[in-house]
Amino acid sequence: MSERDPDAELLEQVGRHDAAAVRTLVARKLPRLLAFATRMLGDRMEAEDVAQEVFVRIWKHAARWREGEAKFDTWIHRVALNLCYDRLRGRREQVRDELPDEVDPAALPDARLEARSRDARIREALAALPARQREALVLCYYQEMSNIDAAALMGITVDALESLLARARRNLRAQLADSGLSKDKP
Amino acid sequence: MTPERFHQIIEAYGADPRRWPEEERAAGQAWAQMHRQQADAWLAQEAGIDAWLAADTVAPPDAALQRRIVASAPVRGPRMQRRAWWWSGAAVAGVGLLGGVAGALAVSLFVLSEAVPPVHDSYLTSSFGGSSADWSGE
Repeated sequence: MSERDPDAELLEQVGRHDAAAVRTLVARKLPRLLAFATRMLGDRMEAEDVAQEVFVRIWKHAARWREGEAKFDTWIHRVALNLCYDRLRGRREQVRDELPDEVDPAALPDARLEARSRDARIREALAALPARQREALVLCYYQEMSNIDAAALMGITVDALESLLARARRNLRAQLADSGLSKDKP
Repeated sequence: MTPERFHQIIEAYGADPRRWPEEERAAGQAWAQMHRQQADAWLAQEAGIDAWLAADTVAPPDAALQRRIVASAPVRGPRMQRRAWWWSGAAVAGVGLLGGVAGALAVSLFVLSEAVPPVHDSYLTSSFGGSSADWSGE
């Protein structure tokens, strides 16, 4: 017997338009969805738009949600992923060139500057990956999905997922080596 | 667990066993224990990428975004509150009305059914009238 979807009960309450349940669901899922969309798109503002759109879909479908076909968490990732791809298709290869907001280095303390610079390098390396490799890596590494769930979400086999993950990590290693940065010191 | 499979696992999932496929985790760890030197060399290579990935953080959503999203949800709160207020007012009014009706009914029953209690004649006279003392002789 399969385990119950951990979000099922909360979703039923959301489907009954319970205000407290709505707030709980937003607190539970928004950080996760926002991080996912941010890493997929490399753009915070667009990621926020995607997250809002995902919740609009949730409000629309909550009352009719039925357990069994897919976990709710997998479903919202699929919705977010489709919305991300809509945007990525819209701007094609611009993703690589879009780094986080430019800031005046003089206005930032050293620690924050270093952190922002480090995040920018990693985000740039992620953005440079082919989309499917980035998707596999973000789902498995950052979203901590099981290989089975991630493969199901992507519509591929676990073997194919592992191949994408391995290629993504090899590409990252090559990029970081090319940039002359130590692999041990992010 | 073969050396090839162990290598495939860490190439895909990294050096941290918690990220390895659940059904192969124990076998992979056991293989690493038995082949420490080979395993350590492969694990060290992947641990560098893991450290890079782990260093990337995304700022949590701000309060304004959370408010916007919560506000976009259809909730029954305000309507229910108005309805609750209306019902509580009606309940107070109803209780008051029932109290009035009950009081009126009690008075009516009393008037219709109760006979006037017998009283002593002396109660019907005041101290200024009908005195038994006869002052005519004076």
